[in-house]
Amino acid sequence: MELRIKSLPPPHGGALVDRVVRDPERGKKLAAGCSAVYDITPTLYKDMPVRNVYREIMSICYGFFSPVEGSMTSAELERLLKERRLLSGWIFPFPMLFDISEEEYKKLGVSEGDRLLIRLKGQPFAILDIEEVYKINPLEVSTRTFGTPEANPEVVKVPFDTKHPGFNIYSSFKPIVLAGKYRIINEPKLRKPFDRFWYPPAKSREEFKKRGWTTVIAHQTRNVPHTGHEALMRNAAFIGDTKPCDGIIVNAIIGAKRIGDYPDEAIVESHEMVNLAGYVSPKRHLVTITLWDMRYGNPIESLLHGIIRQNMGVSWHMFGRDHAALGPYYDMYAAQTLWEKGIPSFGFEAPPYAVDFGVHMRPQNMAEFWYCPHCKEVTYSENCTHKDELQRFSGSFIRSLLAEGVFPPGVIMRPEVYKIVVKWWKEFGYPFNNKKYLTEREKELEIDLPPMDVPKFK
Amino acid sequence: MNYLAVLLDEKRFSDIKGSPLESKVTDMFGGAIKALIMEVPDDRANKIIDGLPGARLDARFFIEEAPIAFKRALFEKIKSMKSIGIEVIDAVLTELPKIKELAVKESEVLPVPDIDISDALALQKK
Repeated sequence: MELRIKSLPPPHGGALVDRVVRDPERGKKLAAGCSAVYDITPTLYKDMPVRNVYREIMSICYGFFSPVEGSMTSAELERLLKERRLLSGWIFPFPMLFDISEEEYKKLGVSEGDRLLIRLKGQPFAILDIEEVYKINPLEVSTRTFGTPEANPEVVKVPFDTKHPGFNIYSSFKPIVLAGKYRIINEPKLRKPFDRFWYPPAKSREEFKKRGWTTVIAHQTRNVPHTGHEALMRNAAFIGDTKPCDGIIVNAIIGAKRIGDYPDEAIVESHEMVNLAGYVSPKRHLVTITLWDMRYGNPIESLLHGIIRQNMGVSWHMFGRDHAALGPYYDMYAAQTLWEKGIPSFGFEAPPYAVDFGVHMRPQNMAEFWYCPHCKEVTYSENCTHKDELQRFSGSFIRSLLAEGVFPPGVIMRPEVYKIVVKWWKEFGYPFNNKKYLTEREKELEIDLPPMDVPKFK
Repeated sequence: MNYLAVLLDEKRFSDIKGSPLESKVTDMFGGAIKALIMEVPDDRANKIIDGLPGARLDARFFIEEAPIAFKRALFEKIKSMKSIGIEVIDAVLTELPKIKELAVKESEVLPVPDIDISDALALQKK
């Protein structure tokens, strides 16, 4: 009997997508074949940037979303919304669409078979080989993406509305979709501090091999870590084969956020501080990022997380209560329900690892970690019976604490972690992710593009 | 039921020491933090969340991330009315327009904590 897990899981879909041209001369040649040029602008909701399609192009072309290769056709979109399957049959949760306005479409004058040059920050970035042009009703796409209490009664509790940022993202899409495969033709450089956390799937798999890791567990984050997160990471990582997991990767979702959230710079560096300050050895802890404007889609977002991290080479994924959730829309255990027994109305009669064309990673559904004054430590809710004394962790509570100028006690947040928050507070001001920060971040983005000369377009 | 935690630093704690409020102080996280925990019915909670930028209900049903001006006003009312009852919430709600004005200015006046972070920066350099 072999108990050891000796290799990393295969990529979702069988092979990692790599659609990045690394030779600038070849990139120029591809650009020369384009019939029009389009400058990416962020998707706006009430004049605030809520999504930038460039992040989707990056995550697709660098293989995070394998096997997706581009903007979806109408047939693929329909199948996805009905069954959460791509036309190839592989499971996938979210529509990936390159959306433009009617006016932009008329101005571009493109159609099926044309190649579009996509520019970002004034430089050539990618190309899109147009296979289909079609119209969507953004509100309908949004509603069907997240589900409704009628169509998805197992997990959707109340109808989605404009208080939900993910719903606003899809309902703010422009109505014309250019479908087709993307290719990045001008290799971007990640800006500081994100550059040192950039581990696209091919690179993360290389890194795991270099470190001798064959069992790796992933921790999803969009937050600065408190000691409850740290306890979750350390304890979840006790799963493994004949010994606990070799590695723990923290994968931070980097993209447009809400006013008041921590800046992404603080999130990645504070997680890194957990290992730099020695709370989890850097030998088994790696902080990484994925570019994606969080949709807060709880169970369906958890599916995307599972796919991303499997593509990165991860064997297990921690899923907690209210995973990637916001507001009262989903049942608080919806993500865990998906990974425990499936959600039939979303196309999962069984969990995503037990269906055809499913994932090859395993969930680690965790209950809760709280501080127990009786135990005098952070404890697991299934162990600790001192229910009358427990103190739950709350990111919002900690942010309130910081705003009132209270140095958070070590029992809640490591002092080194707090100091990283202060570092970025000095840089960007308060409240965190204020309007100025969000607007400027959406101009600078997370990447720079080298200058590339290409033919002039109208 | 929803809740509001009014944090008590040394100054605030000394302000209520000896008053009937002292017996209502709750130790949080093993005594690392002291707070007055107020119960807030749904209708008042909605007024606070709808009326104040940033205020939200967390998973524990605590109203968090309300502007500091609101927390300060709340503590002042608690101190003067010597209560953590619903009448204190109602009294603060009457001052909501003024609190909102102060909240707008918070991004300019909320100072960065004056603490030494050189050890964390040194760890990053290493």
